[in-house]
Amino acid sequence: MSAVQQKSRARAFIVSLDALFLLLVVIYLVVPLIATLVFGLQGGKGLDVHSYQEIFTDKNFGQTLQLSLELALATTLLAVILVTPTVYWVQMRLPGVRIVLDILSLIPFAVPPIIMSLGLLEVYGSSNLLINVLSLGLVPILSNNPFNIVNTPQLLVCAYVIVALPYVYRPIDNSMRAINTTVLTEAAYSLGSGWWRTFLRIIMPNIWPGIISAALLTFSTVMGEFTLASLFGIFTFPIYLNEVGQSDAHKAASLAVLSFLLTLLCVLGIILLVRRRPGQQVEIAAAR
Amino acid sequence: MAYLAIENLAKYFGSVTAVDHVSLEIERGEFLTLLGPSGCGKTTILRMIAGFEIPSEGRILLEDEDITNRPANKRPMGMVFQSYALFPHMTAEQNIAFGMEIKRLPKEQVKRRCAELLELVGLADAGRRYPHQLSGGQQQRVALARALAIEPKVLLLDEPLSALDAKVRVNLRNEIRRIQQQLKMTAIYVTHDQEEALAISDRIAVMARGHIEQLDRPEEIYSNPHTVFAATFVGSSNQFHAIVESPAEGICRVGEMQLRVPPLRERRKGDRVLLVIRPEEVTLRNVEEMGANGSPGIDTNMLSGYIELRTFLGPFTRFLVRSSLGMLTADVHSQSARGYEVGQQVYAVFPASASQALLLDAAEAELVQMVDAERI
Repeated sequence: MSAVQQKSRARAFIVSLDALFLLLVVIYLVVPLIATLVFGLQGGKGLDVHSYQEIFTDKNFGQTLQLSLELALATTLLAVILVTPTVYWVQMRLPGVRIVLDILSLIPFAVPPIIMSLGLLEVYGSSNLLINVLSLGLVPILSNNPFNIVNTPQLLVCAYVIVALPYVYRPIDNSMRAINTTVLTEAAYSLGSGWWRTFLRIIMPNIWPGIISAALLTFSTVMGEFTLASLFGIFTFPIYLNEVGQSDAHKAASLAVLSFLLTLLCVLGIILLVRRRPGQQVEIAAAR
Repeated sequence: MAYLAIENLAKYFGSVTAVDHVSLEIERGEFLTLLGPSGCGKTTILRMIAGFEIPSEGRILLEDEDITNRPANKRPMGMVFQSYALFPHMTAEQNIAFGMEIKRLPKEQVKRRCAELLELVGLADAGRRYPHQLSGGQQQRVALARALAIEPKVLLLDEPLSALDAKVRVNLRNEIRRIQQQLKMTAIYVTHDQEEALAISDRIAVMARGHIEQLDRPEEIYSNPHTVFAATFVGSSNQFHAIVESPAEGICRVGEMQLRVPPLRERRKGDRVLLVIRPEEVTLRNVEEMGANGSPGIDTNMLSGYIELRTFLGPFTRFLVRSSLGMLTADVHSQSARGYEVGQQVYAVFPASASQALLLDAAEAELVQMVDAERI
């Protein structure tokens, strides 16, 4: 009897410990957010929504937000479109090259943003014979009319794709390893399917969760990226946030809350988009 | 000319020879099995026929047309995989329809054929289910239907039953055979399970070390193996190392004893051979009974020994007899097995015609050892 009692008491203790840790994590995450919200609402006397009114009438708010959303979307699309077929190709045809991709995908962590931005500006900004040859003539075309890519959001997107490489490569590579890519490909081939059809209709739907998490990570990284944008001299939302913060701390706090809610909405939107496909998660889990 | 012909096919992976110049001809509607231990090259041959591996040497001809270098997706082959390889995000019906959609068949036709195929494999109600909602056996049935949907000229099956439970395995193998015969489909089946191969095939190619040891009907492979490897890999058998004493009379010496075998025209005196006797050819006799009747006759071998183990296996009972030549296995009909108990002294009797004397050279001996080690 006492043994049973002891056991149930031990279980209750563990449960309460779980709850305690959960509570601590929630406090850690939520308290700063609530504090920011409250601080933002304390602009005048007592509680007022003055700072929010100011934000919504500021045309920089809309413009920078739109630019950042566009940059995030473009980076996400470009990164996913570049990386996914590459990982598939390497897995199927060049398994020996995987180690190179593994290392390449870690390099962005090692290169500081200042080096990367200076490097990109150097490459595209000044004419250099060696680079012209190495890039097969692509760099001079992009650097001059009509593209003039230097200091444009387009070049920033390219830089962001490099920054996002680890976030895109890892989840996609992991999900491709988790499904039986080779056998599924061979099955599709034996039914008459070619490379692209196999990739789009068989492989993509089965690594969808990996692609989504890659997209989420990239999207939120770009939405909050400050250093590269500031070095490129492009007025994005995080830079606007910083600027506002230097003149009006209450408004900046409200902006931070808004940007949090916005990113949350985007992330939830993407998750809901995935959830809508019935049975998808279960099937993939079963396939593993 | 054969329907599908493999000419001098070889495949090297680095310094390893996976397939060593194999030639093979398969007739239309035939069910051929490639049987052998792992690493014997059977799957590599199948994958070269499917187009997943490019042969290092040799040609593959389908209806006299050279398809050696044709890409896998342009070959009229249907493939069934060991791991089913169903597309997890598609229902059974969508899996089956995939190949037909690529062929741009009209929608109604695809739908009708899906239903027919599901009916054929006994899953008429499962069309809407996803692979994870089906059992292993059901998944493999869907995979079979999917491969048949594109009306392939040759159906390739790569150990399709290995991942299934014993009972499902037997059921599904009968189903595969029934469907193959019903559709008169040419099929190549790869397995390491000799029982499966014997049960299902028109012909079996027993393979070892990248080449075919024997290509024959199942009955012939079983009762008249040509090599030591074929004899030991297919079915269970009693084996004695022996030396030929008189080829014309069919007498071999095993240790101190002489055993009678059929006349050995192709052997010479002093050749080392392996005597192979199937357990069901061995019968048991009571010592008292034999004492009364005398010798069993000139064409019969008789070894005295003790019953060491008696295993009831339903229709027959298996006895392990410790004889002067070592252990001997005898499979006796259970009805005739009554009265024989462990510890009893008996004679193990088998006719001369039941013993095969197969030439045992060093390479063969090594091969047999290797396979035995793998089985343990």
